[in-house]
Amino acid sequence: MIELKNITKTFYKNNTAVHALSDVSLKVAEGEIFGVIGASGAGKSTLIRCINLLEKPTRGQIVVNGKGLTELSPRQLARERRQIGMIFQHFNLLSSRTVFENVAFPLELNHTSGDDIKKRVTELLTLVGLLDKQSDYPASLSGGQKQRVAIARTLASNPRVLLCDEATSALDPETTLSILSLLKDINRRFRITILLITHEMNVVKAICDKVAIISEGTLIEQGTVSEIFSHPRKELTRRFIASAVHFSIPEEYRQRLSQLPDGPGYPLVKLEFNGESADLPLLSNVARLFDVDNHIVSAQLEQAGTARFGVMLVKLIGTPENTQLTINYYIAHQVKAEILGYV
Amino acid sequence: MSEPMLQMMFNGLWETIVMTFVSGFFGFVVGLPTGVLLFLTRKGQILDNRPANRILSVIVNIFRSIPFIILIVWMIPFTRMLVGTSIGVLAALVPLSVGAAPFVGRMVENSLLEVPHGLIEAARAMGATPFQIVLKVLLPEALPSIINGASITLIALVGYSAMGGAVGAGGLGQIGYQYGYVGYDTVVMNTVLVLLVALVFLIQLTGQYISRKVDHRK
Repeated sequence: MIELKNITKTFYKNNTAVHALSDVSLKVAEGEIFGVIGASGAGKSTLIRCINLLEKPTRGQIVVNGKGLTELSPRQLARERRQIGMIFQHFNLLSSRTVFENVAFPLELNHTSGDDIKKRVTELLTLVGLLDKQSDYPASLSGGQKQRVAIARTLASNPRVLLCDEATSALDPETTLSILSLLKDINRRFRITILLITHEMNVVKAICDKVAIISEGTLIEQGTVSEIFSHPRKELTRRFIASAVHFSIPEEYRQRLSQLPDGPGYPLVKLEFNGESADLPLLSNVARLFDVDNHIVSAQLEQAGTARFGVMLVKLIGTPENTQLTINYYIAHQVKAEILGYV
Repeated sequence: MSEPMLQMMFNGLWETIVMTFVSGFFGFVVGLPTGVLLFLTRKGQILDNRPANRILSVIVNIFRSIPFIILIVWMIPFTRMLVGTSIGVLAALVPLSVGAAPFVGRMVENSLLEVPHGLIEAARAMGATPFQIVLKVLLPEALPSIINGASITLIALVGYSAMGGAVGAGGLGQIGYQYGYVGYDTVVMNTVLVLLVALVFLIQLTGQYISRKVDHRK
């Protein structure tokens, strides 16, 4: 559906070459949600803007919907772009138009008749749940509502592909989730292929089927979300995955934590689960095998694709020998276990 | 003030209004496309064209740097050719329009620069042609700012037309000059001033009102 072949983009700033993208290739199959994740300045924005040729790549080929976009004339390209939707971090709604008129905008470009516009816009605003706001101007809407209008607008011309340029980065976490589930819904309902770029692993985890990690203009790793979460090969990938879980020792424990196993202290252990960890009821197993109780202090376990991952903080209550056996058992089952101290 | 004097004042005011608005109109007819082209051919814009931008910019700068009083005199042969005379309201319209056009051009260019670049990008992504971008994105989005610029232009034209009055353009400027400066009639001079001030205020307030009405940015 979308195919990039050896895309290279070089900018010239004050006569020095900046390689925004070097030799990037990727393929997105029809109906897939593909995420590209990277830190700011990694080239992800340039990458997504190359796909609909808002940015012209220096070298390489772009095929969308079976058409090689780089070979088209400006007029043909304009027509092809109507099949490629795009939403943006800052929504880019026209302030001079009402919600209704904003959604009607792409239809006007196609010279759609007034009756058809009315019908289609009503349908789309119903889909995104903003029909009651149709006569309002964007300035009076919240961020999430603005992005919904932008989504309705981009769907108006029935695109086969949707590009999301940091579409949730300006939104709060709750609104982010609602926008992501709307995107997922659109993807399922209309089989629209989605390519999104983001700097948040949470976005990838929430809706993507596949993910690529971009760093300094090259894709350093790509695969299905389950694969990447269970076998991350690159350090950067691991860091992105870790950023999707929040781990900290509660203040109350931190104060009591001592580094040495003195007195009656039990070990406080951080358990890290990743896709390779054994799919077994490990906590109950150690309780039975070693007579050790896992006192759960905090836990965050998540699922990305088929991979389960997360961190858990437990106090192991048992004899020193048995707690050591427990830790060895966890490690043997691909759970990273680390003693943080004794409480 | 005698009745013929009042009649003359009224005529003068009317002539000034005609000169201001008609030349303002022609100034926009030429200046608006010029401003749009100045903007579109800038670096990084949709019709990025350095040579075209440079040439247009130089022409605009030349016309903007000629003092208006000199422009009137300098243009006399052209004005005669175009309207058959070099005195009166009709003749004044020619240099006034020519003086207004580059002013309007720069002002429109500046207004368009205020439109967030993301909007142009979104329109391009939706497959809008450059013409559609100008008509459906740039001009509507810049409208509040263009209207503010229009009132500034009209106010400048009130001043220019008064200046033209000194060399036979008619209007309040001529009355003020002849009766006030040459004849030293303070009543006439001050009446002319009050009328000019009132006209300027009216334009400014109307401009602000319309600009606010069409501004939906907040």
